Amino acid sequence: MKIWLALFALLAPAAAFAADTVSLTSKVFVERVKPGADGKPVTVREAPGVVTPGDKLAFVLRYRNAGAQPATGFVLTNPIPPSVAFTGTDDAGAVVSVDGGKSWGALASLKIAQADGTSRPAVAADVTHIRWALARPIAAGAAGELSFRGVVE
Amino acid sequence: MRYQATDAKSSAFRKNAALAAVSAVAAGVFASPASAAGTPAGTNITNVATATYELPSGGETSVESNIVTLRVDELLDVSVAWGDPADVGTSPGLSGQLLKFTVTNGGNGPESFTLGTIANGGGDDFDPVVTAIVLDSNANGAFDAGVDTVYVPGTNDPQLAPDESLTVFVLAVIPALAGDGHRGRVDLIAVAKTGSGAPGASFAGLGEGGGDAVVGATGADGEDDGYYRVAKASVAFVKSATVADAFGGDATAPGSTITYTLAATVSGTGSLANLRVSDPVPAGTTYQAGSLTLEGSALTDAADADAGSFTGTAISVGLGTVAAGTTRTVTFQVKID
Repeated sequence: MKIWLALFALLAPAAAFAADTVSLTSKVFVERVKPGADGKPVTVREAPGVVTPGDKLAFVLRYRNAGAQPATGFVLTNPIPPSVAFTGTDDAGAVVSVDGGKSWGALASLKIAQADGTSRPAVAADVTHIRWALARPIAAGAAGELSFRGVVE
Repeated sequence: MRYQATDAKSSAFRKNAALAAVSAVAAGVFASPASAAGTPAGTNITNVATATYELPSGGETSVESNIVTLRVDELLDVSVAWGDPADVGTSPGLSGQLLKFTVTNGGNGPESFTLGTIANGGGDDFDPVVTAIVLDSNANGAFDAGVDTVYVPGTNDPQLAPDESLTVFVLAVIPALAGDGHRGRVDLIAVAKTGSGAPGASFAGLGEGGGDAVVGATGADGEDDGYYRVAKASVAFVKSATVADAFGGDATAPGSTITYTLAATVSGTGSLANLRVSDPVPAGTTYQAGSLTLEGSALTDAADADAGSFTGTAISVGLGTVAAGTTRTVTFQVKID
């Protein structure tokens, strides 16, 4: 028994370290259109101050590999928060789900079953989850950002 | 093997459409509030992401992001709509004349509203005198005197939930001098008590749930115009006489017969009720029995079922209700004594 406890004590810190090698931070910004320096309207991302229905939000997810080894098979999943309607992403490689994460695909390939037995093409507002699977490993020390946009319902 | 962690929240579908795909019953139970006003003020929007990746040593692990939380602030919006299908018909001097309005909270939080009226805003022919604003407290859409609550500013300012509407009645007196066809306008105004002003103006900490309150597109004050239209009928009498003497001429001499024609013409809008034509038989003449006619039809002299009678000194014909635009003609004859 004592041996097992000792073993566990040895292993635990190592496991915790390994789990923390890639960090993930989530931020949210409000996108507002403001006049730019040249007078033309530009979209700026601001820290959310006052937020009301109809406001456009940008969710930014930053990952960083703090470990000494590359992290492979990195898959990032983000459920769309309640009260937010998904509007899109600029980051390539995203797949979405419109059924709570059961099935995934490009939005254009997904359908929504309707009460009368028919189905209709899914639209952005139907999206319940977004997911990116990185094709390349995240090198040691490397970082990146993925983001998606939504609107407060 | 690569394992993709599914998020804890993924079991709870958040879209109606997704719910419908699984179970119509569930859709009924969990239907998200599809309100025009949007997400209720004070709601927290939280976001958390999950990543999985493979460990250098083999196997996989997952990491959760921090949770970011965003509180939805209160949007202040209100709209007022005049609810009568057309101008409300009325008559000069009448009191308690009703206009019906609907006040709707277009914001995303419960909000109280101050109500007011403007009756002298111009653009009309007369100024109604507003005597009361009444809240349709039994919500039946109809004014119930003594049942619905008279509005007292600052005392019973109506509070409405997001998207909730309230019927409000304006009671006014129509000035006695208002003429036929004249329109009188009353604006009903509703202002959010938390604050109003330019869209985008915010009131820190005054929103539902402790957030800010922000003026929406309506400026947080709504108004609409309601109109009265006066229908007024008036009557003009024209009396004429023709004389026939015993010799086929028109000499006014003893024995000559005078035929009097009384034409009552109602003009304006609407009708006049209980219109009655009476005319005394002139001195020095004698009424010719059975000579009374209305619209060319003979009337008996007795006070009986027909409209006319001779009282001994005067003729009298009841015309009943006469619509504007019509003329009623009464004739009778006298003989010069």
